[in-house]
Amino acid sequence: MKFKASLTHDGVNLLDRRFMPALDKVGRICHVYLTRDHAMFLHNLLNGDGVQCVAQFDKDLLFLDYRISSKNEDRIAFSLDLALLHRALRSALSILQRQGGCDPRDSVGSPLQIQIKLLKKIPAGSQQPTPFLSFETKGHKSAVIHDVPISRPLSRDDVMELQAALDMAQQLPQTLVQVPDLAQLQNLVERLKNVGDLLSVSITQYGDLHLQVSTGLVTMGSEFRRLRVLGDRADAPQGNQNLTAASRTRLAIERGEAQSVQVSMKHLSKSLQCHSAKPDCAYYGIAPQGACLTVIYQFFQPGTRQMDKSISLHCRLPVLEPDYA
Amino acid sequence: MSSSPPEADEAPDLVCRLDSVQGMVDALSSVRWKRNQDALVEISEHGIVLIVEEAGCLQAKVYLKRELFLTYEYSAEGRPRFGLSLGLLVDCLNTFSSPGHAPVIEILYPGPDMQLILKSVDSVDVCIYAEIRTRIADTISWDCDFGPSRNNPLSFTIKTASLKEAIDDLEWPSSTIQILLQPEPSSVVFKGEGHGDLQIEFPYYANSDLLITFQCDRQVSYRYKYKFLRATTSNIAGSVLKDNRGSKLTFGRGGMLKIQHLVSVARPGIHHPHHSDFSGLQQSARIAYIEFYVKPEEDE
Repeated sequence: MKFKASLTHDGVNLLDRRFMPALDKVGRICHVYLTRDHAMFLHNLLNGDGVQCVAQFDKDLLFLDYRISSKNEDRIAFSLDLALLHRALRSALSILQRQGGCDPRDSVGSPLQIQIKLLKKIPAGSQQPTPFLSFETKGHKSAVIHDVPISRPLSRDDVMELQAALDMAQQLPQTLVQVPDLAQLQNLVERLKNVGDLLSVSITQYGDLHLQVSTGLVTMGSEFRRLRVLGDRADAPQGNQNLTAASRTRLAIERGEAQSVQVSMKHLSKSLQCHSAKPDCAYYGIAPQGACLTVIYQFFQPGTRQMDKSISLHCRLPVLEPDYA
Repeated sequence: MSSSPPEADEAPDLVCRLDSVQGMVDALSSVRWKRNQDALVEISEHGIVLIVEEAGCLQAKVYLKRELFLTYEYSAEGRPRFGLSLGLLVDCLNTFSSPGHAPVIEILYPGPDMQLILKSVDSVDVCIYAEIRTRIADTISWDCDFGPSRNNPLSFTIKTASLKEAIDDLEWPSSTIQILLQPEPSSVVFKGEGHGDLQIEFPYYANSDLLITFQCDRQVSYRYKYKFLRATTSNIAGSVLKDNRGSKLTFGRGGMLKIQHLVSVARPGIHHPHHSDFSGLQQSARIAYIEFYVKPEEDE
């Protein structure tokens, strides 16, 4: 089992400034899954509870000279502490800057010299070789090696299980609605957290997203209407605009044109932390049979409205119980 | 008194619109001295009054007069009263305000199930709403009969920030705080005796920046429980301190202390360049009055 590559400018910036802060807030420990074409960070794919989060990058976006080989179709997976990985990235960057080496923030085109590889070492005071993801940073005058401890690489069976879970996680909801203002949604959810722990999320085929928290003393909610719809859509019935948000949602569910699920406020709030990765927009949808709430983040190519297909990020929130069942 | 649920064609007792949610939050938070606190709300043609009390010794009232609202449609007979959780009301109102956006919200009472209903009305595509359950109002356990002690009421006005600072400082001796007013030399003295002694004196003529007005024709001294005095300033909104406002303290019959604060309920960032006097007048009219009544300690 071998893995060795050099980090690209874009890759190191993308991870350091955007994805590491976001993914660390979703969960500190995650799986890193490397294949011939992709590098992925996966949260909670093998243990059922918690927010599942899949961040996938084309290998060419993050790496140069990408070399991977394993007996398991060149797939390697292990878990690590994202805070330690982020620290290694930051220290590598700072060494390059301090030593007057290439500044990855400014000098686009100059060779970056952060090489990463998988290796085993015997740490001081131990007899057992331990696996590490090693960062070797070469400045003009010195080279610094930063080893990030990782778990033992997953066995063939575990990798198969991880791949199966990943395939499952790619299933798309039949209707997705686009939330244009991510900051507004995040701000709202942060405040709704004070009201209750359970949140009903309803999505209609007319493009309405309705969030509601209800306790014995208060019902509080927010409805976003006329959002862009992807997938199955329908026209809102006449007179629908004169109803309250709750009545509108109930009617849409009765007509089979909406779905509603209950999720944990804590889970939704965690998934919203993905905004630190600065996605350009987000789509919300409910999986068939109300299996989960799916949030798909989209990234545009810089300076365009074209989707950047080399990055994908999505979350699946476990459903506590189907609402209005 | 509590009104009955509205019939389908009957207008609710109150429908009003507000464009300064943050001001309302500031005003209500000022009387929220603990997390879970019940409040009584009374609606009238003049506005809304919210009353909070504790242990029959401390009472606070927030007066939100109708001029603070963009629209105020009152259709009830009598003065409907209901109880609700103050904390919940503040948390719900907070949900409406977001940085850089001052929403217009509609307040309606009663809803179909006697709820207090709040909803944002400034966008057709995004609506935030809250339905807060109300309960039948408790009777107020004491009616603060605040008659002036004599013909000349004893009172002084002090910068709210200075009052808060003095009360915060008195936490150290804590327990009981004595407030002494004397005409010669004109001054107010706060004295704490407990774990140690601390005395804070505000001379009237020496520093008019602190003590703005002073009315006293004889020496008086009353004692108050520290925790009640503290409640009168502990949650005062930052905007009050920033606006450099004053608080008026008046001593009524038997030493009953009334503390009045002014909280701005103006919409932030409104400028009317062509009608500056008028808008200034409008803005100054948009003040919520907060009153605290503190009973003195009985002499042993």
